[in-house]
Amino acid sequence: MNSTNAANAAAMTPTPRRGVGRKNMLERVVAVATLVLVVVFSFSIDGFATLGNLRVILSNSASLAILSCGMAVVIISRGLDLSLIAQMVAGATIFGILISSGVTAPAALLVAIVAMVVFGFLNAWLIAYVEIPAMLATLASSMFLVGLLRFAILRGEFLLLLPKSNPTVAFLAGDIVPGISMPVLLMVATLAATWFLLNRASVGRVVYAMGDNFQAARLAGLPVRTSTIVVYVFSAVTALIAGLIMAAASGAVDFRTVTNGTLLFDVILVVVLGGIPLRGGRGGVRNIVVGVALIAIMRNGMTLMDFTTQTQDMLKGLVLLTAIVTDNYLNPRDAETDTVGDL
Amino acid sequence: MTAKAVRPVVSLENATKTYGGIAALAEANFELYPGEIHALVGENGAGKSTLCKLIAGVIAPSDGLLRVDGETVTFLAPKDASARGISMVYQETSLVPQLTVAQNIVLGRERAFNSVRKVRNAARQVLQRLNFKVDPSQLAGSLSAAKRQMVEIARSVLNEARVIILDEPTAALTPEETDHLFDLMKSLQRSGVAMIFISHALEEALSHADRISVLRNGRMMVTGPATDFDRSSLIRHMIGEDLNERGPAPAAAGAARSVVPVLRVENIRMGSIVNNMSFSIFPGEVTGIAGLIGSGRSEVAKVIMGHTKRNFGGGRIWLDGREVRYAIPAEAVADGIAYVSEDRKLDGFFDTLSVTENVGLGWLAKFGRRTLLAPFGRMHQVAREWEQRLSIRGIAANQPVLHLSGGNQQKVVIAKSLVQQPRLVIFDEPTRGVDVGAIAEIRQIIRSIAESGAGVILISSYLPEILDLSDRILVAKSGTIAAEFSRAEATAEKILHAAVH
Repeated sequence: MNSTNAANAAAMTPTPRRGVGRKNMLERVVAVATLVLVVVFSFSIDGFATLGNLRVILSNSASLAILSCGMAVVIISRGLDLSLIAQMVAGATIFGILISSGVTAPAALLVAIVAMVVFGFLNAWLIAYVEIPAMLATLASSMFLVGLLRFAILRGEFLLLLPKSNPTVAFLAGDIVPGISMPVLLMVATLAATWFLLNRASVGRVVYAMGDNFQAARLAGLPVRTSTIVVYVFSAVTALIAGLIMAAASGAVDFRTVTNGTLLFDVILVVVLGGIPLRGGRGGVRNIVVGVALIAIMRNGMTLMDFTTQTQDMLKGLVLLTAIVTDNYLNPRDAETDTVGDL
Repeated sequence: MTAKAVRPVVSLENATKTYGGIAALAEANFELYPGEIHALVGENGAGKSTLCKLIAGVIAPSDGLLRVDGETVTFLAPKDASARGISMVYQETSLVPQLTVAQNIVLGRERAFNSVRKVRNAARQVLQRLNFKVDPSQLAGSLSAAKRQMVEIARSVLNEARVIILDEPTAALTPEETDHLFDLMKSLQRSGVAMIFISHALEEALSHADRISVLRNGRMMVTGPATDFDRSSLIRHMIGEDLNERGPAPAAAGAARSVVPVLRVENIRMGSIVNNMSFSIFPGEVTGIAGLIGSGRSEVAKVIMGHTKRNFGGGRIWLDGREVRYAIPAEAVADGIAYVSEDRKLDGFFDTLSVTENVGLGWLAKFGRRTLLAPFGRMHQVAREWEQRLSIRGIAANQPVLHLSGGNQQKVVIAKSLVQQPRLVIFDEPTRGVDVGAIAEIRQIIRSIAESGAGVILISSYLPEILDLSDRILVAKSGTIAAEFSRAEATAEKILHAAVH
């Protein structure tokens, strides 16, 4: 049975089914903008177009890409996970505390994963069973989680230092084989897992159906509750991976990444710029890659040019606005293509 | 009644409107004379709405001229059209639900400082003049579909409209409300207002319009006095061929009725809409539920499905003699119940996904829950099989369902439920917004499901449909079942009487 299924699936490659109506215009606009930026930076900045800088870009954008995978899957299912960064910090804190107190790395990792799964499950339970809107449920759970950790573990501090000399930390930040670092490997693995979840797994079909028309999915009898659990647990696990990478690279878990909110908005920015509409139902791994590429290259180029963070924020805001205005201009909406709840 | 010497109040000359290379309306000529009621008929996608939107200034023609009182005009927005006395009553009503009826009536014409009392009095005057029983201080969102439509017409009258366009005004109305609407249109006609109405019920066009225009594939096929047409000639113009409308006659009624009901519902209560509703559904027969909109028919169906929750202690449901209580529809689907929604765009299909995906997802919902890998092969195969069985016609294989005609969309929704091989199918207004050709096919599908041994509930506001298809007819009235008729004893008069009194 399974083998015939597999054979059938192979014979009939799933056809592209997204990007109808309002095409994937934004994705293309952003891809072109990214290419233009690469060309401009290559000529205007010394040392931009080098192999070394490419590695830096890849390593630095790994955690952003991983977080975006989690967020994208949630958004495609017409959800929103505002607790993503809080979960990231929480996962890193749990792992960091455990290895600092001498627990072995695999055991610490296992505990952290279990904690994240439980937390993602709680989010999903609030959303799917208690039926609280995703935005409110995850906003509340984010506050609760950060408050709890700072109170119970950090005793009011906002920084947890990790021993950089610890072999696990060094392993997470270092190279596996020369040229390929652990963060990059994890990024590729997460992108692959996201692709599998969305394009090959049964849950993926339900995720797109939920994003397209949640009421119809529910009435048709699709397992919307189970799928919601899978989606939020997946995003919690991506948050943990991103947290580990970030903590290992900087040697600290900084709770200010939650409170200042920039990272969360960067993640949403990546998803939207990549061409995944906030109402869900469309988009895939390619959109995430495109979105991350633009933000990563901008960040890298602007840092090499010594722009201040404030200038960088300003420019990022401008880029988002320009991309959306261009998209609207190239692909105007009308009554025929508009769907209910489009943002 | 209109002399040809009279100048048309609105006319279109060779009007064309294209969307992305496809002509929704091609070189249409259309004339509307003062004081006439003009019916537009045609299948879904024939260009009726496009023609109306052109006149109402919602869209601009790609080519051709629009004249008002003989003078060429270009409308940039609907408000330009309403300045010339043209107003449109939309199918999805355009009232602001959070405002009161009075505020909605003056919407867009308020002064900077409004007096609530004056606005309400003006509204009350208009409503009384038109003989509408609507309280001007009520919120528009709390009105029934019929009353919302009345308020929109009142708004047009207050705006001193000379041309009123009604897009499927009777789709959501009960027979009595429909009669009231046409009386009103007649009285507006006497004061010189010209009206265009779109309708899928050909009888309405034939009996209430002065002239009828038929559109097919964006082209104006024929225009003429209503008396020149009959039902079959209209259909011939609409689809270009004759049509055998009668479905197969229902099986000899009650010949072998099973004693065990597939579904038994007792004293269901939900909010203030469903009050102690009780009935039984038997396998192998179609049970029609007639009644006015708001009589709790769809609501009880959604309670059975587990889509909405009944009141605390609000009744019991048995499926095949086993008491059930579903928390979500997935459990009902697993037990073999399927619900075909009355509003397919709202909760019927996945509009950006293809036909195959839609039907495949229906299959996945029941049979693919335990598989980790998406069974693409099976989904495609099952979907293709049902596309053929229900002859769903799309233009391209991967076309989103959104771009199909209403009839094909409805067939997709039905196929999505039937792939689940249900033992009980609930059809809620299965032919609403469906073109004539597809209606006959959908009725045949419904009959064949019952003949295959499944229980079928048919909820419909269109009495001929209920009478044609049902083996047994229940009449719902304010949340209870008020009457039950066998097929032999049911007549339209009896059903209407039970539904209203």
